[in-house]
Amino acid sequence: MKKTIRVLIAKPGLDGHDRGALVISQALRDYGMEVIYTGLRQTPEQIAAAAIQEDVDAIGLSCLSGAHNELFPEVMRLLHERGADDIIVVGGGVIPWEDIPLLESKGIKKVFTPGTPTIETAKFIEKAVNERDGISSVTAAVPPERIDHIGIAVASLDEALPFYVNQLGLTLEKIEEVPSQQVRVAFIKIGETRLELLEALTSESPIASFIQKRGQGVHHVALGVSDIQDRIHELKSNGINMIHDVPVTGAGGAQVAFMHPSSSHKVLFELCEKRKKEEV
Amino acid sequence: MDKQQRLKEWHENTEKMMNKFPERKDRFHTSSDIEIKRLYGAEEESYPFDSLGLPGEYPYTRGSQATMYRARFWTMRQYAGFGSAEETNKRFHYLLKQGQTGLSVAFDLPTQIGYDSDHSMARGEVGKVGVAIDSLEDMEALLKDLPLDKVSTSMTINAPAAVLLAMYIAVAEKQGISAEKLSGTIQNDILKEYIARGTYIFPPKPSMRLITDIFGFCQSHVPRWNTISISGYHIREAGANAAQELAFTIANGIAYVDAALDAGLDIDDFAPRLAFFFNAHNQFFEEAAKFRAARRMWAKLMKEQYGAKNPKSWQLRFHTQTGGSTLTAQQPDNNIVRVTTQALSAILGGTQSLHTNSRDEALALPTEDSARIALRTQQILAHETGVADTVDPLAGSYYVEHLTDELEGKANEYLDKIKQMGGAVSAVEQGYMQREIHHTSYETQKKIENGQEIIVGMNKFTIENEPQPDLLRVDPELGEKQREKLHTLKSNRDQNRVSAQLESLRSAAKGKDNLMPVILECVKSYCTVGEVCGVLREEFGEYTGV
Repeated sequence: MKKTIRVLIAKPGLDGHDRGALVISQALRDYGMEVIYTGLRQTPEQIAAAAIQEDVDAIGLSCLSGAHNELFPEVMRLLHERGADDIIVVGGGVIPWEDIPLLESKGIKKVFTPGTPTIETAKFIEKAVNERDGISSVTAAVPPERIDHIGIAVASLDEALPFYVNQLGLTLEKIEEVPSQQVRVAFIKIGETRLELLEALTSESPIASFIQKRGQGVHHVALGVSDIQDRIHELKSNGINMIHDVPVTGAGGAQVAFMHPSSSHKVLFELCEKRKKEEV
Repeated sequence: MDKQQRLKEWHENTEKMMNKFPERKDRFHTSSDIEIKRLYGAEEESYPFDSLGLPGEYPYTRGSQATMYRARFWTMRQYAGFGSAEETNKRFHYLLKQGQTGLSVAFDLPTQIGYDSDHSMARGEVGKVGVAIDSLEDMEALLKDLPLDKVSTSMTINAPAAVLLAMYIAVAEKQGISAEKLSGTIQNDILKEYIARGTYIFPPKPSMRLITDIFGFCQSHVPRWNTISISGYHIREAGANAAQELAFTIANGIAYVDAALDAGLDIDDFAPRLAFFFNAHNQFFEEAAKFRAARRMWAKLMKEQYGAKNPKSWQLRFHTQTGGSTLTAQQPDNNIVRVTTQALSAILGGTQSLHTNSRDEALALPTEDSARIALRTQQILAHETGVADTVDPLAGSYYVEHLTDELEGKANEYLDKIKQMGGAVSAVEQGYMQREIHHTSYETQKKIENGQEIIVGMNKFTIENEPQPDLLRVDPELGEKQREKLHTLKSNRDQNRVSAQLESLRSAAKGKDNLMPVILECVKSYCTVGEVCGVLREEFGEYTGV
């Protein structure tokens, strides 16, 4: 049976703003955790003692008064002193970005700044506790396994192919048309992965507009995954925007879905699941 | 009285009053040279005199003065305070030089909870959210070279309000200014501390005594002082909606009035000095309507339920601050726009004074640049937009009048419920308001997370790689410096006098006499905030939450 995660939400110091602490307490409860809320004005000693006495898996510290740099590390020190280093500690409140590295260096696992969705905090705590306990997270899909291919936009396959085939000496595997993307693609095998040269078939093709905007060049990186639908689901719940919420059929009949580059620091990633029968 | 006659008298009285308090301009007009009249709508046959009244007249829906901002803009009062008394004093001089018209002091949390800077509970908190005040010495530095007879000062202080007010009076005396000349406000609203803000010290009963002692003392000694600022602001920040903010604030107001009457005070002696403090949130028309509804509700209560005779007792005068919890840490410059529309709703709602938040307050205390933009926002609204050139311009809008009526109705339902629970004090002790607020705040959070409510730049229209703005840092050495200063004070003052005063305070606390005079003597002897509150803690006990 999956164990219930116990969390202590604590308000260190004199700060009376407990809206965030109350909301996160309720959100973690709704997520299925057991939550103990300390109430206001707790000393680091009281927090450490309560955490140990209540045998919690995690502590969430909330502070909006600016006293976090003194109080959070003091909680960490006391936990360490009492041999309770295994408790996962996270923090939140009005905390300037530049303070976060200091807090994390003191052992705070993560600091959530204002505007963080509560679900993100819940998932983080769950994952951290499960990792600590050596339980692989039930919901998490397996991470991407390999680079399936690298997509390169070219103006013309006929002009580009000689470079790859003659000058680099690589092997052209196949050329095919992918109607869904209005492209003609050439796969060139390199070790265990491939280069995918993409040529636009019409001016409406995404490749045509890519070349118009940015010129020829690297277009996307395809990550090989299994269970693509689960992976899409997990990425979305982690706040990643997907261009495709459900997979579409790509070259070679693979199931593919693109992530929105706004979520991945401007790199266009494709998730790519090869059909089972093609796997060796 | 016939409507036309009433209107005629209003015009006559207003003209008369203007001899003493003239309007800002001889003639107000738009860019197209359309003349802007003082008042619109009241000459119409269908004008609802009973629910709207006329500006400056019962039930004050249209404003607490006849000429409103045509005579004088609202007071621009930016809440400020951080670090040491000396640093904050500099910021005050800066703000006055920038055209601010009133002061507003933020105290650090140890001061607000009655601990000296060297108390173990003060660790990490000294000078963080406001200025650290331990003794009269700090207060002298805080108010150095400020014209206390000319500037009005608002102090956000609740549980130890009596102590800080006493210090203010003592500093003024030293500057040769008598207490009768002082004007300002102490927040002094303990009920909302239990509900939403958290800086309580004592249990409700002795807390209410301290409050009514202040009412009684100021009535005869500091007559121009607003003895309380009954605050919906923090109730809203804790997650309440507009109707709850309105209802719980008025409910607390009723509790203070009842307590003062129980203490033997006369309604018309203390009610004119009650002030209010509201939040200006994002929903523009609802906010403006809320302020109008608040004025009408309070006027009806004071006149009809409590039988107050003095029109000043009927008037709800209020300060507004824009909604801190509406600010986002993401794309902080967007907050300037939020603050602008919030401020506008407060102005159209007829606020007496206004604090506009700085863009960076979701991240830290405001920098000087951010604080200046916040003040400029008010100045632009006042001087460039013309929104202050006629009185209550939203009146008669079908939508706004409907919202005003609805908010009053919803708030009255809450008031009935609270009355059945035995009043606000008892409802607070049962955790009723706290639960209602939490429920609303959690529902709001869920709506934001599932995208039903859009927060621009946070759950929609986000950008990557946000530039990180420069933030204000409080001197990390400050705690230590403040503790040293306190130790020096303690070794230099007349210790016998201190002990004697604290003992008289103790015996006064055991009895029934007004505590203000003895607290004033204590602070003049340089007893610290922590020492005075310490004695009261021993006598009154401490509140530990619901």
